[in-house]
Amino acid sequence: MISVSRFVRLLPVVGLLLAAAGAEAQTFHVQCPSTTTTHPDGGGIKCQQVSGGDGYASMADGHSIYLFGFGPLSGLKDLYNGQPATEPNTVFNTSLGSDGAGSPSSLVGMPNGSFTFNGAIGLTNDLSVEPWAAGTTYLKGQYVRTSGLSAGIYIAAQDGTSSSAKGANGPTPNSLVDGTVTWAYQGGLLDGYVQPRPIMDVGVMNANAPAPLIAIDEDDELFLTLTNVGMIMRPDLFEQHTIHFHGYPNAASFYDGVPDASVAISIGASFSYYYLAPDAGTYFWHCHISPPEHLQMGMVGQLYVRPRQNRVSSGTDLYAAVAQWETAPAPKANPTSPSDWATYEPYRKRCGTDILCSAPLPHGGDNSVKGGQGLNAGGARVAGYAYNDGDGSTWFSVEYPIQMMGFDPNFHFVGMTFNAEDFITMKDKYFLLNGRSYPDTVGGHACTDGDTLPACAGHAVNDVVPGPMETQAADGTSHASQPLPTVINIPAGGRALLRLSNLSVSEYHTLATMGVPMRVVGWHARLLRDLDGNDMTYLTNSITIGGGESCDVILDAAGLTAGNKFYLYTPALDELSNDAENFGGMMTEVNVCTNVDPVSKACS
Amino acid sequence: MRAMFKQSPIGRTFFTAVLALGSLCASVSHAAVPGISGGNSGPNNGPVFNLQAAEMYSNQPDGRAVYSWGYGCTSAPAGFLPGGMPGNCPTAQMPGPTLIVHEGDTVTVNLTNSLPGVAGNTSILFPGFQVVTSGGDPGGLTQEAPNATKCPGTTCNTVTYTFTATSPGTYAYYSGTQGAVQVEMGLYGAVVVLPTNPPATCTPVGGDAVRNAHSEKDLRLSSAAYDVAGTCYDREYLNQLAEMDLAIHTAVEDQVTADKLNGTSSCQDPAGCLQVATEPYVATYYLINGRSFPDDVDPAYASQYPNQPYNANPHAHPGELLLLRVIGQGRMQHPFHEHGNHMRVIARDGQPLLTQNGKLAGPLQFTTTSTPGQSVDSIFQWTGKGLNWDAFGHGYAGDQSQCVPDANGYYTLASNPPAPAAAINYYEWCGDHNKALEKYPGGQVASGGPMTLPDPNTVVNGAWYSGTPYLGADAAARSVGSTPLPPYGTVANSPATEAGYAYMWHSHNEREITTANVFPGGMMSMLLVDPRSYAIDESN
Repeated sequence: MISVSRFVRLLPVVGLLLAAAGAEAQTFHVQCPSTTTTHPDGGGIKCQQVSGGDGYASMADGHSIYLFGFGPLSGLKDLYNGQPATEPNTVFNTSLGSDGAGSPSSLVGMPNGSFTFNGAIGLTNDLSVEPWAAGTTYLKGQYVRTSGLSAGIYIAAQDGTSSSAKGANGPTPNSLVDGTVTWAYQGGLLDGYVQPRPIMDVGVMNANAPAPLIAIDEDDELFLTLTNVGMIMRPDLFEQHTIHFHGYPNAASFYDGVPDASVAISIGASFSYYYLAPDAGTYFWHCHISPPEHLQMGMVGQLYVRPRQNRVSSGTDLYAAVAQWETAPAPKANPTSPSDWATYEPYRKRCGTDILCSAPLPHGGDNSVKGGQGLNAGGARVAGYAYNDGDGSTWFSVEYPIQMMGFDPNFHFVGMTFNAEDFITMKDKYFLLNGRSYPDTVGGHACTDGDTLPACAGHAVNDVVPGPMETQAADGTSHASQPLPTVINIPAGGRALLRLSNLSVSEYHTLATMGVPMRVVGWHARLLRDLDGNDMTYLTNSITIGGGESCDVILDAAGLTAGNKFYLYTPALDELSNDAENFGGMMTEVNVCTNVDPVSKACS
Repeated sequence: MRAMFKQSPIGRTFFTAVLALGSLCASVSHAAVPGISGGNSGPNNGPVFNLQAAEMYSNQPDGRAVYSWGYGCTSAPAGFLPGGMPGNCPTAQMPGPTLIVHEGDTVTVNLTNSLPGVAGNTSILFPGFQVVTSGGDPGGLTQEAPNATKCPGTTCNTVTYTFTATSPGTYAYYSGTQGAVQVEMGLYGAVVVLPTNPPATCTPVGGDAVRNAHSEKDLRLSSAAYDVAGTCYDREYLNQLAEMDLAIHTAVEDQVTADKLNGTSSCQDPAGCLQVATEPYVATYYLINGRSFPDDVDPAYASQYPNQPYNANPHAHPGELLLLRVIGQGRMQHPFHEHGNHMRVIARDGQPLLTQNGKLAGPLQFTTTSTPGQSVDSIFQWTGKGLNWDAFGHGYAGDQSQCVPDANGYYTLASNPPAPAAAINYYEWCGDHNKALEKYPGGQVASGGPMTLPDPNTVVNGAWYSGTPYLGADAAARSVGSTPLPPYGTVANSPATEAGYAYMWHSHNEREITTANVFPGGMMSMLLVDPRSYAIDESN
């Protein structure tokens, strides 16, 4: 509502008035617990931190384009190598450098090949004062013990007063007893407290196109922290940012990222989003503040959820593993404990009579295909599955997230220069796969001396290989800008899963294949299968999706020999261009290799 | 957002007016699928609709009244549907009246051409039906109603279309004459054909017992979209997506005005005498049911939109099956993104997508592409299953709430013991019952969850944000704590009464959620998933 937006702009003023009432400021923080009710052993807890701000990217014609965008504040090394920047809590909850802050100047700009840190930028020990001096009164809540065997973070269940005698038996659950209060141990001293300087050093002018890749496993809990570092080139703006998990099932509006229906995080502060990963599929994410502007300006990214079928052990029947959820004892009424809630897990995972059932059991029943990674019956290498298909039909050897995007350089220039933006005449002139157009889709990275990027192995300094791109920002420093190449390497006889999405704000886009057939197996993050379990996947040479759509396509290299090169390109031929250059655009290369590493994607 | 500050003073004044209206109307604005019925005075006791094509203005939220043409009623229709909802049918409206008929009806539509003289002939196409015509002039695609200029003093300007509503579903109707101008000007509408043999049992969520316990009216046109199990629904909505190029409308208005200044029009050409360029096309307005956001979340038949009676403001309770009928009425495709959950496509162009065994075969999708002339029917459901936290904020000290799972894990009449029909957490997903979200809640909800909520000073709250992450007035009141987050008390989604979850349903070609270059606006609406404690009143 137009009136609403004016209203919203007044709200920070209201917020400032409230500050006087004494609310405790958290501003920057991260959240990434070591254990949860759902994952008491800590496994399955994934965390990620991103910045919301501005920056620059390089277009294939040499043009440097201004972005509003998200940048990585965790998983920087993985992102450099083209991997998702989502980390297990044990990796995320590590601190860079002995003082917890790292060496800030080393973090500005582009990580180089020797940068090995994947944890949360800025995370450091929370050294707030411990309350255990005898006679100190305290309120229920969280406290930190900084020294001794029992160092760590504790939660008091009620208000109390410190006694002189306290248990100190080491950081085990409920080990610390202080008078009548038992303190619940919550973990080590890294409790989400961050220092702002490294966050600003890394996050400012560090927008990426597309945004840092998010990938999680079904049944994971994801703790995703968005830190708004402000847009340095636009000091006139006090824009909030949000994260919308597009297509995520049964979203709670609080974590859906629509500013009208929830809260939006202001500059200089962090908001942590919480999601379970209930259903496998190819989703995507973007900012939902003023979408015509913030999406066109680059605040779009990729997100996929790997199926729990990937975790079926080798030798176990896939159909049985999926079908087991359909026959489970009745769950417990009025659940109150983890064991009660666990009785619902089969009900959460099964189809039953759900009209929105995400992956019906295959109509053909049990085909005896077994799970696990490795060589399948046909001798092809299986790295995983797109969905819980129950029959192995969506297996792939290597997967590639590919986001179709478009940039209108006029709009971006206007967006940088304080002028009124024009939505009506918005016209994209760069047609991008993962923020790049051809030939950057298959290159973009000049190897440096000692570069540890796998693609640089055997290459000389300044050789261009598929890898992360950097762009000089307005202050002259080079920043990571476009982390993902789109070169598609498939092992001969294997399959590549393309996780396609379109986040253009003005166009439908078509991608076509030459030489390698496309099978569309998923549509909008759901297996193509009807409610009788019939296969609804189909072969095609091209796929067309609009802004806000995704699909899963398998390229099958059965019968193809290593050394062949094919193309994936848009047959909307005017989009095979880079602005004024009549060359490039939405295109990339498909290489058939002898072997492809499913993690590094390296061809050999 | 910044662009709004560059609006004219007229626009700014209008924003204020919208705010005032919003205060009055936003909390009671819902939809259903309003339309007109045709009685049984026609051939084979079928319905008769007496329509005309005439001039009108559409009101847009930038303050502009856009000259348009619309179909309307020449006389009061036989009735308005759904029963229990008031209605009116002006002389012209955009979209045209939704014609609601039954499977097997012999439908008669008498069309009178009341367009200005320079417009020439007009007509209606009914794609999907075998149409028989009588009267009028032969046209390119169908028989046309001549312009009155061709028969001064007589009534030659009518044509009659008759067809059998052979199969249920959602259909478009639109002008078959000079379509690039006439459809652009607003000459389009919808036909809804109701099934004659819907499944005998269509009470997936508790049906009348639960509806009555909360004093809610049943405003469905039917209990199912098709004569097919699996197409039952609890609420229904119709979105007709279209766009307008203001330059075309302005050019037509200029020439119509000039012609009228000459007195009686001398235009005798069936194709009209307008010289209007329809290319290059530059859309300025993106419409749902003829309105731009935020006008589309005002009530149906709201007096401020006399010629745009239909709105777009869907509501549903957890677990309810929401039937969304989408028709592409303009010249462009729109990827219409439904936040909140997936939808199951059940039919296209009135053709159910079924397996050999009669089960649903349509895909799941979170974005519905509207294609000109095509209809897509799909079913949406939101349950909160899989959130991994209790959306109702149960599990606090002294909590007496119940959640007994039915065969699918929800708290319903099928649970044993059954949920009370008036339970405020009816259809709760029991798997997360009592499971905390917050580590240390500020108010009275379960503690020990994974999350610390943000400092309220660091966030900006939306107008549809009830003030807490929880669903329902009970949970909102308990969870808000001692320092309510501003604007606790939003008019669009009051925490004291509604406290629903709001989801934006909008074109994901995001530049289309603008009105004449201003964000927000255009092809955008809000779905409210309302707690069962809030009675959804779609009758206004």
